[in-house]
Amino acid sequence: KHWDDVVDEEDDVDTEDDVDPEAEYAAWKVREIKRIKREREAIEAREKEREEVERRRNLTEEERK
Amino acid sequence: MQHLRAIGETGEVRKARAEEVHQRIVDAWERLQEQKRAATTTLKERLEIRED
Amino acid sequence: MGSDTHRADERRFLDERGSNVSLAPNGLNPATIMEKAVRERIVDSYFWKEQCFGVNEADVVDRVVDHVSFIGGTHGVSQKPTPFLCLAFKLLQLAPGDDVLAEYLSFGGDKFKYLRALACFYVRLTRRAEDVYRTLEPFLEDKRKLRRKGRAGTSLTFVDQFVDDLLTKDRVCATSLWQMPKRELLEDLDVLEPRVSPLGDIEDLLGEDEDEEADDGN
Repeated sequence: KHWDDVVDEEDDVDTEDDVDPEAEYAAWKVREIKRIKREREAIEAREKEREEVERRRNLTEEERK
Repeated sequence: MQHLRAIGETGEVRKARAEEVHQRIVDAWERLQEQKRAATTTLKERLEIRED
Repeated sequence: MGSDTHRADERRFLDERGSNVSLAPNGLNPATIMEKAVRERIVDSYFWKEQCFGVNEADVVDRVVDHVSFIGGTHGVSQKPTPFLCLAFKLLQLAPGDDVLAEYLSFGGDKFKYLRALACFYVRLTRRAEDVYRTLEPFLEDKRKLRRKGRAGTSLTFVDQFVDDLLTKDRVCATSLWQMPKRELLEDLDVLEPRVSPLGDIEDLLGEDEDEEADDGN
């Protein structure tokens, strides 16, 4: 059909599931850990930023004295 | 086409409720399993012919 | 327009932009969620004309099962819209309720991964932030493979990765995603509970991870 793409064999990827459940689970676990780490780093970065803002504010107050 | 029958003179199509959507999923799944079974049978038959 | 029917085509949906279309739960106008150029490509496409006319919420299931074998926005030199994108646009027109979406996502989604992916995409476009997080996050556990077509050709992705893209990226499948408040903010407001990974406690995991790395070094 004209709306279906001619799938180029070389370009295609295998999307069959449950071929090797253990490997598929392991690959998922890596992705999930990456996500969790990313979120944690983002929170840490925001906290650091907040502390830095706080520190600068204190500095200015002392300088004003 | 099958879906055109559902459209009246008004150019409108009936909304489907969740139960109908559920049933359509059941039907689609069964249709797919049937196709898979048919494909396996054909392959088997072909292999048997080759063995003969 | 009667409340128990849809228009078979998209003309009224697009013509009455902003005047008669009811807004999505997140306050956006579904007719303008996709960019104009993309909408034009969709309604010009063969797939739209031949497979998306006179289609209702149940027919969408058949269209996905029969014709969606990859996710993506537009692809190729002609920037052809994918069947996936066309059906997402159809959903914007049909505006299915949460009960229908639950069928797509869970019962249907267990059987047909592209149906789940499509419904996740639609939920991200139309639902309120807390509902997006609540609805989509459980599918970060869905490790099934998906084929994706984009400008760079065909690549492999996964349902969980696609869901993660929907939650963290600005643009997915040729569509700019509306800017949701960060999860952290909704947690501070007590709208959301912190997300618990199916892997359990992160400290244990990272410890385990480091042990593995140490083992590798030995």
